Amino acid sequence: MIEVSELTKDYGTVVAVRGVSFSVGKGEVVGFLGPNGAGKSTTLRVLAGFLGATSGRVRIAGHDIAEAPLEARRALGYMPENAPLYTEMRVGEYLTFRARLKEVPRGKRVSFVGSAMERAGVTHMAGTVISHLSKGYRQRVALADALVSNPPLLILDEPTAGLDPNQIREVRALVKDLGSDRTVLLSTHILSEVEATCERAIVIDRGLLVAEGTIDELRTRQKSSGLSLRLRDPNAAAEAAIAAVSGVSVASAETDETAPDRRTLRLTVDSALKTELVTEKLVQALTGAGIGIHAVVPELATLEQVFSALTRHEQETDNTVASVTNVARP
Amino acid sequence: MNGFLAVYRREVLSLWVTPLAWVLLTVFLLLQGAIFYSIVTHFTSMAEASVDTGPLQAYFGQESIFLLMTLLLVCPALTMRVFAEERRSGTIEALLTAPVTPASVVLGKYTALLTTYALIWAPTLLYVVILRKTGVVDWGVVGSSYLGLLGIGAAYLSVGTLMSAMTKSQLVALLLTIFVEFGLFILGVGEYIFDPGVFRDICAHVSMMSQMEDFSKGILDLRRIVFDGSVAALGLFITTRVVDSWRWG
Repeated sequence: MIEVSELTKDYGTVVAVRGVSFSVGKGEVVGFLGPNGAGKSTTLRVLAGFLGATSGRVRIAGHDIAEAPLEARRALGYMPENAPLYTEMRVGEYLTFRARLKEVPRGKRVSFVGSAMERAGVTHMAGTVISHLSKGYRQRVALADALVSNPPLLILDEPTAGLDPNQIREVRALVKDLGSDRTVLLSTHILSEVEATCERAIVIDRGLLVAEGTIDELRTRQKSSGLSLRLRDPNAAAEAAIAAVSGVSVASAETDETAPDRRTLRLTVDSALKTELVTEKLVQALTGAGIGIHAVVPELATLEQVFSALTRHEQETDNTVASVTNVARP
Repeated sequence: MNGFLAVYRREVLSLWVTPLAWVLLTVFLLLQGAIFYSIVTHFTSMAEASVDTGPLQAYFGQESIFLLMTLLLVCPALTMRVFAEERRSGTIEALLTAPVTPASVVLGKYTALLTTYALIWAPTLLYVVILRKTGVVDWGVVGSSYLGLLGIGAAYLSVGTLMSAMTKSQLVALLLTIFVEFGLFILGVGEYIFDPGVFRDICAHVSMMSQMEDFSKGILDLRRIVFDGSVAALGLFITTRVVDSWRWG
């Protein structure tokens, strides 16, 4: 549904997006992730046709947005950041206007507006003037607006920004529901949102694509990984045995209170080493020292850790980020 | 075309559900009423009236400076929000990501403004009805006078639309519009200041006052219409380019 290749957008001196390429297939729900100011909104605005790309190509549902902008825009429902609406209009009035603008045929307008309001949960607010609505309802009206022409593709820019936890849960459920019969690309800087609603995520930072993949793939992309060991170690000799294996250090050690010979050790493994190799060596060293191994558990990184590892750039230069980008591209 | 109609309908609705159009209508009618009242009382106190002048000719023609001054107030106030407000509140993003061309957005909004302008003038038809009770009304003069006003309005509203597209601030749009429209108006006054020559001719051609004086006598000068139309078309063309240029901002 979306194909972006080498997209660059600059605002005069500031380069907001540099050479980003990704694609979103039909029926996918994809999270567009990045810290504030990473270039998320700029990218989505280019996709929606509000901004022109400085260079690169974007195709929406097979239409190049530079060559066939109207066809491309017909295929998508876009919800801008902060849900801008005409506050002097009533909800029903506004959505009817939007349906007319989006070329919904006259005969279908009432039913399309009705079903969009129903899915977004604003049917009972149809007669309310938008300026009287709360932030949460405005967000939903904007969502209904994106839905009103029943487009196969939805692009939502921070659909849950500024909502309270209950509303966030509702909007997430709605997005998930919408994802069942159409393609959704949504941006957010909240990771749990991606974990809750998306199958796949694209991470950008400072205008560069830093990672792309399914949520599980991203988890495994953390820079330093961890291992957790459960041992039978009556003489507390494990540390000495582990010290002999290079690239591994003990982060914490606990002794089980009920059984003093049972210990749990948490290890950090240097990201340069292969975890499989390290595990093998560890097991050999420990069994060699006469220690019983009950469990070796690789620690799954949370998306939060991955995210901060990917977007942390105090020590990194642009070049290293760029090389990460290259690795991330399929 | 779809987009044009949708934008047009929304714009008319939004002008009339907010206080702006009503406030302008009230102020406008108060001023016009005062002008018309003083002209009529002036004529009733006159011992004899000449054939080619009457309250209507004076209102639309000789005394049109008052009428044009109120337009310098009303037109910029009508146009100031048309794009500036959309950009300030961000609704322009939703508007321009719909499958509509910049030209249909600009034309839809402009036509809505022109409709509102015409609606604001509509009650002044009552003046003609009142005059008809006491005398004979030349409907040709009435028709050409309103055509002249529509021409001036078309030009002024186009300039205002352009200025509103240039800035996110309604106040700046208002001031810019007044500045340009007042400049256009003053240029016409040059007809009475400069010695006969090319410059005076130019001033006479662009003079809104001379335009109204001609039209109020029933003289339909095509050059006037062409001038108003050209200003309107140029303004709308540049506005469309400006709207298009936001993509590259």
